[in-house]
Amino acid sequence: MICKPLRTLSPKLAYLAAIAACGLIAFAAMPLRHTLDLANIAMLFLFVVFMVAVKLGRGPAVVAALLSVLLFDYVFVPPHLALIPVDPQHVVILAVMLAVALVTARLTAGLQEQAELACSRERQAQRLYQLARDLAGAVSRWEVQGALDAFLGNTGYRAVLHFMDEGGGVPDPVPGEALGHVVQEAIRRGEPVEGEFFGPALCLPLRAPGRTSGVMVVTVSGEGADPRREKNLFAVVASLIAIAIERLHYVEVAQETQVQAESERLRSSLLSALSHDLRTPLTALVGLADSLALAMAKDNPDDPTSETAAAICLQAREMNNLLANLLDMARLQAGKVALRKEWQLFDDVIGSSVRLLKMSQSTHPVRVRLETELPLVEFDAVLMERVIWNLAENAFKYSPEGTPIEIGAYTDKQWACLTVCDRGPGFPPCKAEEVFEMFVRGTPESSKSGVGLGLAICRAIVNAHGGTIHAENRPEGGACVIVRLPLGTPPALEEEEDIAAGGRP
Amino acid sequence: MSAEINILLVEDEPQIRRVVRSVLEGEGCRVFEAETGQRGLIEAGSRKPDLLIVDLGLPDMDGIELVREFRNWSEAPILILSARTEEQQKVAALDCGADDYLTKPFGVAELLARVRALSRRWGRGGEGSPKATFGDVTVDFSLRAVFRGGEPVHLTNIEYRLLSVLVANPGKVMTRRHLMREVWGPAYSDSGHYLRIYMSRLRQKLERDPAEPEHFLTETGVGYRFEP
Repeated sequence: MICKPLRTLSPKLAYLAAIAACGLIAFAAMPLRHTLDLANIAMLFLFVVFMVAVKLGRGPAVVAALLSVLLFDYVFVPPHLALIPVDPQHVVILAVMLAVALVTARLTAGLQEQAELACSRERQAQRLYQLARDLAGAVSRWEVQGALDAFLGNTGYRAVLHFMDEGGGVPDPVPGEALGHVVQEAIRRGEPVEGEFFGPALCLPLRAPGRTSGVMVVTVSGEGADPRREKNLFAVVASLIAIAIERLHYVEVAQETQVQAESERLRSSLLSALSHDLRTPLTALVGLADSLALAMAKDNPDDPTSETAAAICLQAREMNNLLANLLDMARLQAGKVALRKEWQLFDDVIGSSVRLLKMSQSTHPVRVRLETELPLVEFDAVLMERVIWNLAENAFKYSPEGTPIEIGAYTDKQWACLTVCDRGPGFPPCKAEEVFEMFVRGTPESSKSGVGLGLAICRAIVNAHGGTIHAENRPEGGACVIVRLPLGTPPALEEEEDIAAGGRP
Repeated sequence: MSAEINILLVEDEPQIRRVVRSVLEGEGCRVFEAETGQRGLIEAGSRKPDLLIVDLGLPDMDGIELVREFRNWSEAPILILSARTEEQQKVAALDCGADDYLTKPFGVAELLARVRALSRRWGRGGEGSPKATFGDVTVDFSLRAVFRGGEPVHLTNIEYRLLSVLVANPGKVMTRRHLMREVWGPAYSDSGHYLRIYMSRLRQKLERDPAEPEHFLTETGVGYRFEP
């Protein structure tokens, strides 16, 4: 169907045109009244009525029909220039003509109206299609608003989009005082709400699956427009826009995730490169200094340089510990340490830690006190070994040489507890919690080496296990750090049937 | 070290190669070097080393891959060099046939201790003795009996099986998976807590001080090691 632009004649002019058309045909047919048959002249009038119905619509067509019959009767039907016909045949002609004219007017005008309705629907569909296409290409909220403006064009409506902020709170740009409550109402109810803003207004929430991203406020800018009449159209527009906004949102999220993954990858490759590049020279340094010390001690046991070499070796190992802590902290802070939690016994990890501690130093005796029948506890053994190592190292550092370090384990209600205690001066008063902060040390200007990472790492690891760590001073002197891990429900253990295996001579 | 042994060192860092070479040559070993994994495989084929020392972080191929390839045709012991945070790789390398690992940075004494232990085991060969002794404990495999200070010790079936697997591999790091498979069978390889509990029971029965074991040692994150 070919759709022509809408009729632009105003109603008054349309009626005048209808009257003029009837007058014109009456005037034109006047000279022919003696040559043409009455029925043919009636046809001419009916043609005019038909054309008026096609071109000017229902009202003018009805007027034209009545006027045509009147003129026909008055001018052409004998007696001329009189309204009442004498011949009964003429009465029939007039009656039939009136009926045909009215029916023609009605049918034709109705058909025309339907055609126009279809046309306007098609135009609307076209515009919606264009809007959808514009929205599909939009890469920012400004472009979405631009597409909406292009869609409304000069239809007499104006629409403004208000977007919610991140927390889903106040829409942006903030709607004026007059509309504020309408907007809130629309968001709350999730459906179009009517309001007033220099004329009728309509507020539609932009709803997409999962969330409401904002509202669209439609107001009027021209005469005769009323958005409340076109609620359905605007609901469709609002849902198109909501989908576009949602798409933009997900594009943003995807980009953010990509950037995050990229920086994460960079960070971890940086960490492993750093770890490798620093450890390699350290390994060489430890090995070289160690073999130098051994060779010198063998050749000349009294040579003080062999002690120097041994000291270099010790310092390099110290540096390695520091490096390990820095890298651990970097990993823990990035939140990228995957806990390999398994059901473990404290005996295992304490036993191996104590062996390491005894190998690495001989200044402090290490004592272990374990409660018998300790239950299985779920933790990452490698990380827990780091905790014990760091706590013990701290104890070595801050307690006088020769005093014992005590490591213990016991259960307390729903907690599995691990303690590392020394007989040193203890934590400075009021600092028992602060020492677990990063780069905080009990005595800032202490001559002891260290940067204050050990305890912070312990706390990060223990917290990642859902446990707690705190420091206290023992009444008999010395510091104590207590680690508490939650006691879960250990997996069942099928006991074997004890058919005696060994032990019988 | 008694007899001269051939050692192949596969390590990409020249400084670390230098240290290891000088330490081992000081002990009378013959040390061959390879910078890359490919080179290492070629050298291993031609030199037939008695001990292979491999860095896990090689530039051209995974150290684990090298271990697997080498294990295909040689029974010689393999010592892994690795960083502290590489537990998973250590376990993978041990599961592929490596015998022990050394964490960087390591001292001369640690390196020598590992190399000595591995070459001793290699030299001793597979002659099975019906009796094994450690501390004050004697295991008599022919009688299926365990004595501590002359007194018989009662062990359950599983405890005895675990003990015999450990005692049969002195000094070797056994991964948890390996032990689980040997003692409980393949179906149990995920229930690591069984192993921990039985290990703890063995320690209770056979260690002088179970809290500070001397023979049944834990290699945290990796497995266990039996030291006679």
